[in-house]
Amino acid sequence: MIYIIDHQDSFTWNVVHQFSEFEEVFCSNFFEIKESKLLKADTIVLSPGPGAPKDYPLTSKIYKKFRGKKKIIGICLGFQQILHNEYGKIVQQKNIYHGYQSKIKVTKDSKIFKKNKVFQVGRYHSLKLNEPFVSKNIKISMRCVETNIPMAIENIKEKIFGFQFHPESFLTKNGKTIIKKILSA
Amino acid sequence: MREHKQHKLSFNPYLEKLYKSDKPLIIYKMKNGYNIYTDFSKKIILNKNNINNFLKFRKIKKKNKELDLFIGFFSYEILCHLLNIKIKNQKKINFYKGIFYKPETVIKIRDKIKIVSSKKEHKFNETFHKTQILTPFKKNLEFNAYKKIFDTFSKKIRQGETYQIKICTKYKNKSKINPINFFWRLMKVNSSPESFMIKDKDYSIVSCSPETLIDKKGKKIITKPIAGTLKKNKKYNKNTALKFFKSNIKETKEHNMIVDMERNDLSRICSPGSVQILKEKFVEEYKHLFHYVTTIQGNIRKNISLKDIIISMMPGGSVIGCPKIRTLELLNNQENDGRNIFTGSFGYIKFNKDMRFNIIIRSILNYKNYSEVSAASGVVLDSAPKKEFNENYIKAKSLLELYK
Repeated sequence: MIYIIDHQDSFTWNVVHQFSEFEEVFCSNFFEIKESKLLKADTIVLSPGPGAPKDYPLTSKIYKKFRGKKKIIGICLGFQQILHNEYGKIVQQKNIYHGYQSKIKVTKDSKIFKKNKVFQVGRYHSLKLNEPFVSKNIKISMRCVETNIPMAIENIKEKIFGFQFHPESFLTKNGKTIIKKILSA
Repeated sequence: MREHKQHKLSFNPYLEKLYKSDKPLIIYKMKNGYNIYTDFSKKIILNKNNINNFLKFRKIKKKNKELDLFIGFFSYEILCHLLNIKIKNQKKINFYKGIFYKPETVIKIRDKIKIVSSKKEHKFNETFHKTQILTPFKKNLEFNAYKKIFDTFSKKIRQGETYQIKICTKYKNKSKINPINFFWRLMKVNSSPESFMIKDKDYSIVSCSPETLIDKKGKKIITKPIAGTLKKNKKYNKNTALKFFKSNIKETKEHNMIVDMERNDLSRICSPGSVQILKEKFVEEYKHLFHYVTTIQGNIRKNISLKDIIISMMPGGSVIGCPKIRTLELLNNQENDGRNIFTGSFGYIKFNKDMRFNIIIRSILNYKNYSEVSAASGVVLDSAPKKEFNENYIKAKSLLELYK
């Protein structure tokens, strides 16, 4: 079962539908967590949402508790949430991408996707990961072709994955394939 | 252009009497004409205490397919209440939070006129409504005040608090209006697909709303968000307007956001995999402007209640901004005037739970001898405050012209 933690976003239910094509999904607000369901879940998804990772201490707590024990997937804010808890710095960017379609490329560090493969994806983010970002296990697996901004992370060992873009957006081509690969990784 | 079809009704004695009478009535634009509802046997005035009960919609005995429905509106305030979103203390005119009516007569204006009624006798008390304009229109926000709000919201966008937010401008004057006269004059120049009029004893609403929020038949539900407005001039026709929208990054981004948001709102109540974009990014033409539109469809899951549908879809995302909850909170903290009907929804719920609702925009509310016309336009990161401020005027223009 997949537990999706909703940060009251207007895209969360697109995420729910995309994931329910593969597995049973349970979704709740970040402040109304169903403990028993969360314990039963094999995968936890941190949804997109407004604001910054520091605004959601409850989600950070859940992340720290289950890190390495369950598969964790973060999308947009969820992606930043993971990095925030892995000592990454999340900062405002100069150019803001809301409703933006861009090309991203798989880096040499990805263990799941083929190096240099290009995806067309939808983006909705004001913030980004500040670089340099150093981590033993978390690798940046995709980057924006144009700006080089980090677009996905992988930690194969502890099964932590994240996307700065929105795989569930209608602007993302092959979003379903991306999710399928992550779920079977 | 959607031309007003001149109906062959130079004189219909029933309608003439009805228009001149003091009977409350509602006119709603249909695909190929208009429906006029009247002889209301029930009038439900919604408030925070009875709305949940109203939305439970227990099975009601069906009598006549054409009349088995409640028609009316939800105000913005009651929709926020359903979402548990607070509104700060605002200037209020204490207008109704929502009213629904059960009609006993419907007059269907198509090429011919058809009257369906459960009443045997039709009585009319003649009254006379003359339009009187007592003071000129005044805006509640001048450009400087507008720009201040605009800058606050731009900062919130940079911080990731919201991705898009709509600022509302209100035009107000002291006036008495004849809503029936206003409505038919408006339909001559701008018969938008979701136009409607309500005339009741103590208030009236006249609207040329272009936007369908919910069109539900059986389990199928359709929404048709509008995001993107282009002022008409000689340079543009429908094709060149489409080219403009497609090549304009700002309009495209704004539209994309709304499409994903409406997919989300449908997904909350629909079966996984059933939500689809039916028609992506096309142009609709109106008197003063072009709109950029997308049609999205889904199949409603079993066990989804009427209230679930209302909460998920309303207030319509395209007139609020995104993400909806956070953006509503930001808006409600910023706006000093109550929105009343503006960005609420008008429509009907049939006894078989089919429904149709619009988003109440481009509307006049006349209450206690005051008229108010509201319009809103969006702040995204690349918008220019002057342009958006003026866009509000373009949107209100065909309504303000009725007072001339």
